[in-house]
Amino acid sequence: MSKPSSKSKEFFIDIDDETQNVNQQSGYVWEEEYKRSWDVLQEDEDGSLKRSIDHLQNRLKRKRLLRDTSTIRRGIIRNMFLIIDLSEAMMEKDLRPSRLDLTLSYAEQFILEFFDQNPISQLGIIVSKGGVAERLTGLSGNPMDNIIALKNKKNIDVDGEPSLQNSLELARSSLIHTPTHGSREILLIMGSLTSCDPGDIYESIEDLVKDNVRVSIVGLSAEVQICKYICKRTKGTYGVVLNEAHFKDLLFEIIPPPPVSVAQSNSKLVMMGFPSSVNQSSPYLCACHNKPVTSGYTCARCNSNICDIPTECPICELTLVSSPHLARSYHHLFPVENYTEVPWNSATTTHCFACQISFPSLSERTLPKNLETSSGRYNCQKCNQHFCIDCDVFVHEAIHNCPGCLATSQNNLKSLMGQVNGNFENYENYEKMNLS
Amino acid sequence: MSSIKDSVTVNEDDANLLVLIIDTNQMNWTKVANKQAMGNCLTLQQILRQLLAFINAHLALKHDNEVAVIASHIGVSKFLYPIPTTRQKTRRSHGDSDQSSNSNMYQRFRVIDDQVTSNMKALFENEALKSCPDKVSSMMAGALSLALCYINRITKSDEIGHIKSRILIISVSPDSPYQYISIMNCIFSAQKLGIPIDVCKISESDNSVFLQQASHITGGRYLRLSIDQSRGFLHFLMKTFLPDRFVRRHLCLPGDEKVDFGAACFCHKKTINIGYVCSVCLSIYCQQLEECSTCRSKVTNGVKRSKTNESL
Ligand SMILES: [Zn+2]
Ligand SMILES: [Zn+2]
Ligand SMILES: [Zn+2]
Ligand SMILES: [Zn+2]
Repeated sequence: MSKPSSKSKEFFIDIDDETQNVNQQSGYVWEEEYKRSWDVLQEDEDGSLKRSIDHLQNRLKRKRLLRDTSTIRRGIIRNMFLIIDLSEAMMEKDLRPSRLDLTLSYAEQFILEFFDQNPISQLGIIVSKGGVAERLTGLSGNPMDNIIALKNKKNIDVDGEPSLQNSLELARSSLIHTPTHGSREILLIMGSLTSCDPGDIYESIEDLVKDNVRVSIVGLSAEVQICKYICKRTKGTYGVVLNEAHFKDLLFEIIPPPPVSVAQSNSKLVMMGFPSSVNQSSPYLCACHNKPVTSGYTCARCNSNICDIPTECPICELTLVSSPHLARSYHHLFPVENYTEVPWNSATTTHCFACQISFPSLSERTLPKNLETSSGRYNCQKCNQHFCIDCDVFVHEAIHNCPGCLATSQNNLKSLMGQVNGNFENYENYEKMNLS
Repeated sequence: MSSIKDSVTVNEDDANLLVLIIDTNQMNWTKVANKQAMGNCLTLQQILRQLLAFINAHLALKHDNEVAVIASHIGVSKFLYPIPTTRQKTRRSHGDSDQSSNSNMYQRFRVIDDQVTSNMKALFENEALKSCPDKVSSMMAGALSLALCYINRITKSDEIGHIKSRILIISVSPDSPYQYISIMNCIFSAQKLGIPIDVCKISESDNSVFLQQASHITGGRYLRLSIDQSRGFLHFLMKTFLPDRFVRRHLCLPGDEKVDFGAACFCHKKTINIGYVCSVCLSIYCQQLEECSTCRSKVTNGVKRSKTNESL
């Protein structure tokens, strides 16, 4: 059993040194040294601990934030299978409340967030137990169908050993039918250290490589050589969980669309339908669930009734979206650049530009000696406004707009946005789309 | 799409934070005033007076209700209230207002009224902004971003989840196409945080497509007032936008119609039902093309499945 190596460099585009250091410092929960956590905290001159606690918290918040904002293309349209190990190893209680319960609740959060960030993508679920793999849901664009399948107690009994090969083959056989403009991905949550495979798994791995399927694995117990090999061969990521929070981090790293290699510079034009909504006084049956509904959408091609979009028409298989769904993905194309930390000698501002909270002033700088001091200000290099740590996190994780750039006298907003991604010369196109 | 916003539970005794975004583009307010029949001109000044009455009404509803006011101006968006001031400054402004305004007025109303009015005055007197070339639109995306950051801060500092926020936009300017992406980003994060965006649009004929989407997606109210109706501006504000999120569930408020988001192709700007979407940049076209005109990537024929091009 080897110690989980922190994510290896060649597969991760957006690695920053700080994250890596933090990962190396902390090991398994039970390996952690007995830490006298109160030694780290020191009182300030008023006898208050608040400031030094805040300081520690800020460093943690920022750790997760630094993202890759370079202008790489990302595969916006994704097809993903989530494979969940339902072997007896999942009943272990080293993650609380148990590996299985935690996996199921994180899987639910993962699915919601996945569809929020990738609205025109598709996801299906496969479970593996007793040496076989079983498909719970096929690829679909509906988060609720997937979550309901996971909530069904009948689907989540544990039994025997998982089968790595069977589940990968099952996922692959469904993924090869997806059109080539979308990415093909597998995310595997693996609790067991063993696998029950019917044949040569290396052959299956070569098939996955041939079909451009990217496999990422999150291990719950220890690093397994074959898992590492699969991820390396298929250009996915492999991580082993240290504790509950790290589990979530590893899962949620999969949510932003993956970068597309430069070689794939060609695009495809995908046919999509923009359905019109209908409201009727008397209920009718929807084509997707055969349930009576009174409002919904009609497919733009075959006029069948659908209850919600985005989805694929169950009758004619046309992808049905609305323009706001497409707009939801635009922030992947135009990310906000990382803010830089402002050193004390240029900390002239008194309050955060966005939320108006006041910054610590130079006179309040006194901090415990064993902590490096931070001015609490973060600077946008485009508009040179200063923001607090909370706004920094919020801007990059939620809004995806720099409030400073949008709120200050920017006569050339257009040129500014154009710089974000040199590829998008006709940026205005987007903006006109909803004006007609 | 509504699964997230329903997860926020509102209670009767919640405190309400109202973030009011006022479009202060003088150009467009002048247009509104000019269109009106002589004698009953509705100027920005009158609107402001009615808005202050509305703010006071909001604060009077509950002792712990809060308000923030942001101006979406030509070329800049700015907080009008609250603004961080040094201690002496606040004292001085109190001294000023004691003489000028009614001393019978409730202290809190007066502080807010004075600050909003004086900050707005300062905004109009700012010479630098007068040279801004784009005089037609206002910085709505910036104002929305500021509002969301402020709400994020207030929500974070309130650990028991007692404060429920909402945004009200008073808009008079037409949509600025350059702000489409940033406004949409704001809308989606508001939806995720469960913050309804209410919109009051004062315009003779045009609806604001962006803001209509904002209120539709976030579960807010959209109300368009024609210029004649806007004489009863305060009345509409009170009846439509004053009820808090708890009370709204029991009310039948105007402006709850379904909005259709038709898509228009980038090439001819015509509305389409079925279109072709570029898999790299999500541009919409009404026909197959050789090259995507937005991201300049070559389009491979959808029929031939050339696996050599795919390297994922
Ligand atoms: Zn159809
Ligand atoms: Zn801030
Ligand atoms: Zn900026
Ligand atoms: Zn394109």
